[in-house]
Amino acid sequence: MSSRTSGGFSANPHLPASHTPMSTSGGFWVEAWHRFRRKPLAMIGFLFVITLVGIAMFAPAIAGTKPVICRYKGRLYVPCLAYFDRRLEPAIFSTDKFRGTYPANLTQKDPASWAIWPLVFQDPYRAVRDNEWPGRPANPARDEGQPNWSRGGWNLLGTDQYGVDVLAKMVHGTTIALMVGFVSMGLAGTIGLIVGAASGYFGGWIDLVASRITEVVMCIPTLVLILALVAFVEKPTIWKTMAIIGMTSWTGIARLARGEFLRLRSSEFVIAAQAAGVGPLRIMLRHILPNALAPVLVPITFGIASAILIESSLSFLGFGSPPPNASWGALLNDARSNLSMWWLVAFPGTAIFLTVLSYNLVGEGLQEATDPRLRDARK
Amino acid sequence: MLTLFVITWIVYGLTRNMPGTPLTVTLGETDPSRKLNPADIERMKKAYGLDKPWYEAYCIWLGNVVQGDLGRSISRKQPVATLIGERIGPTLALSGAALLLTWTLAIPLGLYASARSGSPDERAVGLLLFVLYSFPTFVAALFLQIIFAVWLRGTAWELPLFGMSGDGVGTGWWHRVADIARHAILPITVQTYGGLAWYSRFIHSTMEEVVRQDYIRTARAKGAGEYRVLFHHAFRNTLIPLVTLLGLSLPGLLSGSVIVEQIFTWPGMGRLFFESIRERDYPTIMGLTLLFSVLTLAGQLLADLLYCMVDPRVSVDS
Repeated sequence: MSSRTSGGFSANPHLPASHTPMSTSGGFWVEAWHRFRRKPLAMIGFLFVITLVGIAMFAPAIAGTKPVICRYKGRLYVPCLAYFDRRLEPAIFSTDKFRGTYPANLTQKDPASWAIWPLVFQDPYRAVRDNEWPGRPANPARDEGQPNWSRGGWNLLGTDQYGVDVLAKMVHGTTIALMVGFVSMGLAGTIGLIVGAASGYFGGWIDLVASRITEVVMCIPTLVLILALVAFVEKPTIWKTMAIIGMTSWTGIARLARGEFLRLRSSEFVIAAQAAGVGPLRIMLRHILPNALAPVLVPITFGIASAILIESSLSFLGFGSPPPNASWGALLNDARSNLSMWWLVAFPGTAIFLTVLSYNLVGEGLQEATDPRLRDARK
Repeated sequence: MLTLFVITWIVYGLTRNMPGTPLTVTLGETDPSRKLNPADIERMKKAYGLDKPWYEAYCIWLGNVVQGDLGRSISRKQPVATLIGERIGPTLALSGAALLLTWTLAIPLGLYASARSGSPDERAVGLLLFVLYSFPTFVAALFLQIIFAVWLRGTAWELPLFGMSGDGVGTGWWHRVADIARHAILPITVQTYGGLAWYSRFIHSTMEEVVRQDYIRTARAKGAGEYRVLFHHAFRNTLIPLVTLLGLSLPGLLSGSVIVEQIFTWPGMGRLFFESIRERDYPTIMGLTLLFSVLTLAGQLLADLLYCMVDPRVSVDS
């Protein structure tokens, strides 16, 4: 009913715009965004995460040895997509025996070809060989690969003991760091919301069983459970690690969701919906969930930070996915046996730290922007 | 009790179904020529009870535990209880010191933050603590190792990288204690700073909430001094959440240092757990899991009891 009236207002051509009763409140989320935007630290964290998303999306165009776009034998190709999935590498390059080395092969096998190269010609999975890029020496290996900022230095952040460029590894590792956060917390959030919603809304024996399960998972120390699960998995991949992190970190979300659903279950709008004959699933999804989402979103944001921490510490301890593992934690693991190569610690360590910090800043900003108690306090 | 039962049941099922058995992992990987012949494996399986399905083996294990027997480690040929006994000292020394340091520093810091709330120096300290809180422990450990063990090598500031004690120190007990202390500085620092940041922020935020209460206004109105208000009226009321937190941090005393112990090869329980997972040493994994879970539950119980102590409105009976 109400939606029809307000729709009529904006559609009414006879009313001048200035006379339309403008609503000063743009809804809860718009309000929250306005408050969030006023917090400089939270905004810095937010922008950093956005930047990371950008880096992850354009990683093959930032660092790689495959052209971003190239014209070869009369057709256009995008070989850099192979970094996302090996099957995306155009078949013609393997039938023409490129063997992953593009610059020389392109000019040799088709003099009329051209290519747009990534910003940094370095590969995250192997060392660049001598003269692979015309006139450029091979990557230094072992402890000679310290960062070289002088003119003619090709490895801005140094190379690891096998000569693989650290910058390229870090750029490509961004994808993992981001995906770990989103995938594992997406899973944890889903499990937590389902368990919490069911136990909070239905109560009774469902609540009893769900709360017991939550309690049991909470009582096993997280790291113990994760290590046991990681060892349990036959061939660890990054996806399995994410799933494990997600399956072990939903308890806090479930508790919060349970509380919210329990509180909102007896609110007037839910009773009204029940009286109108709305089914329980629809009530939970359409009526309660939007109101319970804000408090749940805060632990999810903090959870992303801790998921990234857990993944990188697992990779660091050698419990992560096997090589080639571009995760930042795996880079740090390499540094463990070569402590004199400080650049293997400094750059990935700082990257992990800054990512975790920004998620925490965003979480804190979100908390202050959505929690009415804190909002009124900070006057 | 039921929770404990379910936890051990789950973990037992998990560990027994991990790929590889203690026999194949320990011997087969190190030396292929020493690989056991099938008959020997069968015999050893029988000896360690690995020939039974895991649920049956779990019942036997549970029966032994109830009688106070944690079993024998498969890869170390020692009773699990002895192993844990050996490792519990170093872990307690490490995390006990870290916990003590955390609390003794966090409370003054949190109070200082509340006393100077909103001032520039408080904001700076608060931001620094937030940054510290986000700093991953293993990254910090690596940074410290590089600084103190690589860059400062040969100077008076050099600190040992690994282990709990070095060789070539004097024979007297004093020398040995000093040596262990030198080895412990880095691990303790790494384990302290994150908690320190977290707890002092927690104290600060609970204080903020308490300070807005009516009785604080009353105290101010009747002319109580700023410090008296802070310590006598406000801080005592923040003890309730603090005590809960203290109880919840108890299990971390033993399990929280898995990563730190692994980095600094500190011979403690976390490292033992790590190694026993690698070696598929079922009895040790189970013994440690049991201990961790018991401690978690005990911590919750302790928190409830302490809760009654600091809050007279709550009593044990109700």
